Amino acid sequence: MLEVSEIKEIEDILANYIVKKDVVKPNRPAFYIDANNIRDVIALLKQRLGDEAIYISNIVGVDKVSDGVIEVNYFIHLIPFSNTIVIKTSIPRDNPKIPSIIDLLPGAYSGECETYDLLGVEFMGNKYLRRGFFVPTDVTSKNIFPLRKDVKV
Amino acid sequence: MESEAAEKATSLIKIPITLEIPIGPQHPAIHEPVLLKVYADGEEVVGVDIGTGYNHRGVEKLLENNTFYKDKFITSRICGICNTVHENCFVRAVEYISGMEPSARARYLRVLVMELERIHSHMLINAIMAEIIGFDTLFMYIMRDRELVMKAKEIVSGGRVLAEFHMFGGVRRDIDDVKKEKILDILKKLEPRLKYYRRLFEEDPTITKRLMEIGILRPRDVVSHGMVGPILRGSGVKSDVRAEDRYDAYNEVPFNVIVKGEGDSLARMLVRWDEALESLEMCRYILEHLPSGSAVVDERKLPRVFPAGESFARVEAPRGELTYYIQHIKGDKPYRVKVRTPSFNNIINSGFSYLRHSIADVPVILVSYDPCISCMERAIVVDLKNGTEKKVTFRDIAMGKVRLR
Repeated sequence: MLEVSEIKEIEDILANYIVKKDVVKPNRPAFYIDANNIRDVIALLKQRLGDEAIYISNIVGVDKVSDGVIEVNYFIHLIPFSNTIVIKTSIPRDNPKIPSIIDLLPGAYSGECETYDLLGVEFMGNKYLRRGFFVPTDVTSKNIFPLRKDVKV
Repeated sequence: MESEAAEKATSLIKIPITLEIPIGPQHPAIHEPVLLKVYADGEEVVGVDIGTGYNHRGVEKLLENNTFYKDKFITSRICGICNTVHENCFVRAVEYISGMEPSARARYLRVLVMELERIHSHMLINAIMAEIIGFDTLFMYIMRDRELVMKAKEIVSGGRVLAEFHMFGGVRRDIDDVKKEKILDILKKLEPRLKYYRRLFEEDPTITKRLMEIGILRPRDVVSHGMVGPILRGSGVKSDVRAEDRYDAYNEVPFNVIVKGEGDSLARMLVRWDEALESLEMCRYILEHLPSGSAVVDERKLPRVFPAGESFARVEAPRGELTYYIQHIKGDKPYRVKVRTPSFNNIINSGFSYLRHSIADVPVILVSYDPCISCMERAIVVDLKNGTEKKVTFRDIAMGKVRLR
């Protein structure tokens, strides 16, 4: 569980990038940042906490039709702090592009490929993105992304 | 002389240095069909492509379209081996949103059933490892003793495999003193068997020769590739969700986090055996210290609609960290559910770990996939006059079936 001082330490590291703060239940600190800064944020966390201290636990895309955006949430696990923090970004739904972090954290491969295949988020710089990573060909041939809310599968 | 011969030559035999060896996608002993295209230079693995998508069932979409109560039963069907950790993680994610608190007895019983599951899952993986390295009898012995744990799980939950034990705010069944004694009796029979198998894996010269120093992973690589569970702990990184999040009764039940620094296949298997023994002690502690009170919730009184919110639950599944992310806006159905299973990271991101090993070591490294290697070897005959290529087997060249002009 993160102590108050530890949350403060992470906030200090990311001070220049945090737009808004929140908490994902039960106790995961969430930081909203600009999507274009995601690489800087991950590189900074890696540099300050060390290579063996952070791993990417999850990349979650959420299609927010009413807001016209797709949320891309990065769940980063901090091993020394024994907790996961959430880096939240949102990108326009009609042009869903975000820089890839695969070269900084190779563990992002599975999450980025899955999010592209199911939601159509393009991770710029990831050369492994392909349709059919998970989605069967009868769905990909219609050029639809099954986890989008306006799609009937 | 050589240059003269080269000028007069009309044909050239090119032997490609890379062989493509498909492992999967179909094999009886793996849970998810997955294809590993292994590229080998001679015996050495030089590249691995991991092909997925053979068994994607669209569970996340299904969860979004069903109510929380139906979802609870869908989540436990995601994985047969570790179904209780899936339902535990989903149920806790919903409890975080709704603010429900299970009773102390329910929290202990949840841990009991999850730890029984860990024992039988670790026994299964070790049995498959024994089979892969040629110990078929050992495989059968471990599977026979695994039945004891399945029986214990059945006594607690009513289901030998699929437990359906959890419910929002508690559990669905309770145990009495007769059941408690039966399970303690089973654990008493099981303990010497686990200790025997652990000693076998540690001391048997054939097993250690086959597993030791195979598939060594540095802590730095394991962490950067997001690999979790016994793989992480087998490489000396102390990270266990049970110790980090202390969910359910893990803040009250004593246990040790098993860590081994060697990082090879043997270390990972021994981490599993040690964890199984640790789980056995935890089960015993739970049965002896089970709090009184009620554990079963009255399902008729549970809310149909949950408040809006976001939650991220983690659980230590037998294979590592399993996570559920729920975003709920209104009504009786979740807006978004993201399930990230440990194998999602461990298998898909593992391509780097086979490089520079020999083909014969791939099955050992891939123990949880259960491999099946089919090999093809061929040469390419190039007609230098018209530049055409023809693929032939080495056997045909040796038998004189291919005319080289």
